Amino acid sequence: MEPHRRTATNGSAPNLNLAGVSDPVSHLNGHRPVAMDPGAFHAAAQRILTTVNTVIDGKSDAAKLALTVLLAQGHLLVEDVPGVGKTLLAKTLARTIDCTVNRIQFTPDLLPSDVTGVSIYNQASRLFEFRPGAVFANIVIGDEINRASAKTQSALLECMEEHQVTADGSTYRLDEPFMVVATQNPIEMEGTYPLPEAQRDRFMARISMGYPDMDAEIEMLETHQAVSPLANVSPVVTAADVAAMTAAVQKVFVSGPVKEYTVSVGRATRESPMLRLGASPRSMLQLLRAAKATAALDGRDFVLPDDVADVAQAVLAHRIILDRKAAGAGETPHSVLRNILSRLPVPQAQAGRAAAGTVGRNR
Amino acid sequence: MTVAPARPTGGEQKAARQPDRPDRTRAGAYPWAMAAAIMVAVSGAALSLNGVLRGWNWYWPGLTTVLVVGFTLAALRSLRAQPLLVTAGGFIALGAVLTLTFFRSSSFLWVVPTTATLQDLNRLIGRASETVLGETAPVAPNAGIVLVSCAVLGLAVILVDALAVPLGMPAASGMGLLALLVVPAMIKPQSVGAWSFLATAAGYLLILACSQWFAPDGRVEPGPARSPGVVRRAALTGAVALAATLVLPLAIPGFDSGTFPQGSRLNPWGASNSLNPMITLGNSLRAPDGSGRITYATNSGTPLYLRSVTVDNFDGDSWGPDDRSASRVPLDGRIDPGYAILADEQVRLVTAIDAGSFNSPYLPVPYAPETISGLGGQWTWDPATLSIKGTDTTTRRQEYLVTSALPKLSAALLAQSSGQVRDVPDVFTRIPANVPEIVKTTARTVAAAAGAPYQKAMAIQKYLRSSEFTYSLQSPVQGGYDGNGLSVLADFLQQKSGYCIHFASAMAVMARLEGIPSRIAVGYAPGRLTGATVTVAGQGALPEYEADARDAHAWPELYFQGLGWVPFEPTPSRGVVPDYAVDGPAPSVPDTLGNNDGLVPDAAPVPTTPPSATAQAAPGAGSSSTGGTELMPWLLGGGAVAGLALLAAAPHLVRAGTRSRRLHPKRADRAVPLAWNEVMDLGTDYGLPAERSETPRAYSARFREALLGEPGGMDRDAHAAMATLTSAIERYRYGRPDQGGSPDSGLVAGTAAEEIAAVAASLRANATLPSRLGAAWLPRSVTRRLGQLAGTPFSAANRAFGAAAAATARLWHGSRGRAHDAGRRAGGG
Repeated sequence: MEPHRRTATNGSAPNLNLAGVSDPVSHLNGHRPVAMDPGAFHAAAQRILTTVNTVIDGKSDAAKLALTVLLAQGHLLVEDVPGVGKTLLAKTLARTIDCTVNRIQFTPDLLPSDVTGVSIYNQASRLFEFRPGAVFANIVIGDEINRASAKTQSALLECMEEHQVTADGSTYRLDEPFMVVATQNPIEMEGTYPLPEAQRDRFMARISMGYPDMDAEIEMLETHQAVSPLANVSPVVTAADVAAMTAAVQKVFVSGPVKEYTVSVGRATRESPMLRLGASPRSMLQLLRAAKATAALDGRDFVLPDDVADVAQAVLAHRIILDRKAAGAGETPHSVLRNILSRLPVPQAQAGRAAAGTVGRNR
Repeated sequence: MTVAPARPTGGEQKAARQPDRPDRTRAGAYPWAMAAAIMVAVSGAALSLNGVLRGWNWYWPGLTTVLVVGFTLAALRSLRAQPLLVTAGGFIALGAVLTLTFFRSSSFLWVVPTTATLQDLNRLIGRASETVLGETAPVAPNAGIVLVSCAVLGLAVILVDALAVPLGMPAASGMGLLALLVVPAMIKPQSVGAWSFLATAAGYLLILACSQWFAPDGRVEPGPARSPGVVRRAALTGAVALAATLVLPLAIPGFDSGTFPQGSRLNPWGASNSLNPMITLGNSLRAPDGSGRITYATNSGTPLYLRSVTVDNFDGDSWGPDDRSASRVPLDGRIDPGYAILADEQVRLVTAIDAGSFNSPYLPVPYAPETISGLGGQWTWDPATLSIKGTDTTTRRQEYLVTSALPKLSAALLAQSSGQVRDVPDVFTRIPANVPEIVKTTARTVAAAAGAPYQKAMAIQKYLRSSEFTYSLQSPVQGGYDGNGLSVLADFLQQKSGYCIHFASAMAVMARLEGIPSRIAVGYAPGRLTGATVTVAGQGALPEYEADARDAHAWPELYFQGLGWVPFEPTPSRGVVPDYAVDGPAPSVPDTLGNNDGLVPDAAPVPTTPPSATAQAAPGAGSSSTGGTELMPWLLGGGAVAGLALLAAAPHLVRAGTRSRRLHPKRADRAVPLAWNEVMDLGTDYGLPAERSETPRAYSARFREALLGEPGGMDRDAHAAMATLTSAIERYRYGRPDQGGSPDSGLVAGTAAEEIAAVAASLRANATLPSRLGAAWLPRSVTRRLGQLAGTPFSAANRAFGAAAAATARLWHGSRGRAHDAGRRAGGG
């Protein structure tokens, strides 16, 4: 069965990096990107956001969060009812970057090999040849990911975590930047396989689009009537730019108190009586990385507790599981997180500062 | 690779979480259970008042009060009223039940007080205070004292409830119970009593158990789940607290025998602690009540000084009696004064003394005692000073008969004693090394002209009794020389105002400087006639006198060769001047003791008011204190006004000091955090304190939204300043350490002050008048800190108890519950 697979119009064919297959490490070290300077970073980020916002009206928060996840080298899960522009957001973001984009429409009969690729016997060369799957692209859009079987879903796992594909004993490295933007419909229960917890944990953030407000919807009716807005979008940054921006994000400074704050957010979720499952240590890593990207997008070279709190909802809400009683009482993961964040004391002093300034209130 | 987080198993988690969740159905029972626990504790503590109050009749009104107040609190709380409203309701219920019980006739509808009720209240309180002042425990439960007791019990319920529920410090609520128990612990000889202690403790444990059992509404914090077994935990908390009450008394000096529940008396103040009477004397004189009451009957025609102890060593900073325990002689048979008396005639006196509630190791006796009979316990006497001290007992409740002998002194006789002093130990003649200059010059100017020792002594006494000196219990306290010692003496001679200890020591030291051996006697001045008579064997009915702490006195004794130690009275308006020491045509004073009609005992002076008797006896001393007293009200009034003004301005001054310190920091790198603290305090002053969970950015946004005006226009500078300050503190706290410091952060001390000034100006411009005045004169940042400071002991005690109990619970759990837990985990997991 052929998957609904399209090659993005603006990208080249999936370029299989066979050179890197034999030695992934050399690939990793081969061209470490140089961090972008703050001015250029800001300009590039603005270009991307402006472009995305021309396509999707009134959803600048979602767009910014998507960019944050991209820069933090995470994967994004967009969850909402059909028809609010999930796929449009993913496609627009992909289109603004001059890179390869693949889209996979997940269906119940999609096979794992359709995602990762398959080795085919070449009659001419009398050798098995690896035909890369849809995952071989810089940005992979997984549409309605929860309609595929668990087996196919988990085929994405290794790709997402390790940025590589292993098939028939050979390992193939994926190109950087690599980002999976998956969409899923929460209410469409028929014929869906709920995303396994392990896989949910691999998405850095989950966002909801939400309905546009009235003005934005009227605007949308006017502008999107004749022609798809996507057609007018042309790339504003290159893949190398994105890599440089990612490197800049990695250099954002995280102070001791912010690390402490991040960890205490995680611990609070694990200790909360409202939650059956709290946030994992991996999610702490991703939370901090997202916070770093947020800080960089805000033009800062250090992370504030505010950054952590800003992304905490998007990063943590899809990982925690409510206690049955709390769910019955009408709590949601978002309300529990909001409650935790509103009570958690913010650490005041920076570790390693002069002793007089570290403890309590400075008189 | 996936890191598997360590998670408790499901079964354990559920058990641990259960007590932490507020349960709506059980919250209904909580106020009633808590109120019941408090009522048990308070009515248990009230049991201990039996013995302070006679009988049990007073207990039922008290119990009614406790029940009414307790149930009112519970009812209001179960209706989910505001915490303050609940407490206010408690007060109203207390007022109503007291009115119903005591003022039914004068009130409106039995429970609403009227003006007539207030008059009745005034009368009853007056009666209660008479009882407290005039009677010793146990007192008869008259209406006044029962009213006061009921009010105290009701207040205790409200206090304990307030501590335990709205303030959330159940362990500290024991303080309210302790306040009740302190009264019997101090007054009753048998202390609190085991039953009432047990009842109080049981109530206290119930309070702790209730507060653990039902988490009060709204006080459930997300955090570590409580350990299983709330009852056990509560019991352990209580056990720790109880152990503390049993161990703690050993470390407190007031508990001189036994442990807390029985056999001890916490009495750090009263007369019992008279080991150094010099120190307690001023306190005794100032004491409002007449504790340490002593009665005596004597055949003396003149008022009698009762002497307990002498002070003779004037070295050192603080004088005290020298015990001379090495040279003391057991008291059996005659006491020998140790010097020859050459006078022809001796006056022998018989005095029957009942030491009553006076509690001291030193026995008060008239000078010079010869025989003492009827004492219980072991007593010793000091040959040098004739002070009598108990080795294994005190004067408390001793009744004894003293015979004493004095040479019949007259001015003429004393004037003859001009010879060299012999046979007197050095200690009575030694002049301390560091006598202040003013004492020496005063002694020289006053007494140098006089010739014989008697004239010198009279000159000194006349000088001290002159109108230059005023008798005052307060001025040494205000002048900072309340106490004794040579430096105090110098202050006294400058201020010329003090009480007996100052006059007596001045005379004693000056006499020594002039070569007369001297010492200070401490004891009781002659008291008042009670009107009763006491029959003493062989003497018939003798008039009875009484003296109490207000009659505590000190006077100098001077040694005259051939006559022994002779008391003088340099203190104006106190005691009685002996006829030999009356200044006048001394040689012609008649030699009979019965001559001094003005000194009849019933006219004996009342403390602090210059009586006519003294005025007659010493004409020069009558007007001594009038000059000072007219100015005093004005001085006091002015001082009070100034003090009030200072008190009113204190928060403002404290705030201004803090601000100035912050805006001009000593170290430049501290400028940013200090400036941010100032911002937070400014916000607090204007009613917008920062939350602990608020980042600088969030607080800044709230601050600008709530307190500053529109971002544009006049407040633009303030908004810009807030933005600068916010980003500076963010960079300081969370930025790279190498560049977060002040020089690179774009905010140095000077500019910080400007930014703050801009913010403060905008705050003032946008605030209403009341909040502006409040921020300036009663800044909440100061009052809040004060409040925290005041609450610290309570919350610290609460935390300490809680922590100790948790530790004990862990130990318990570790040792006993391990096997149990393992079993449960295996079964549930």
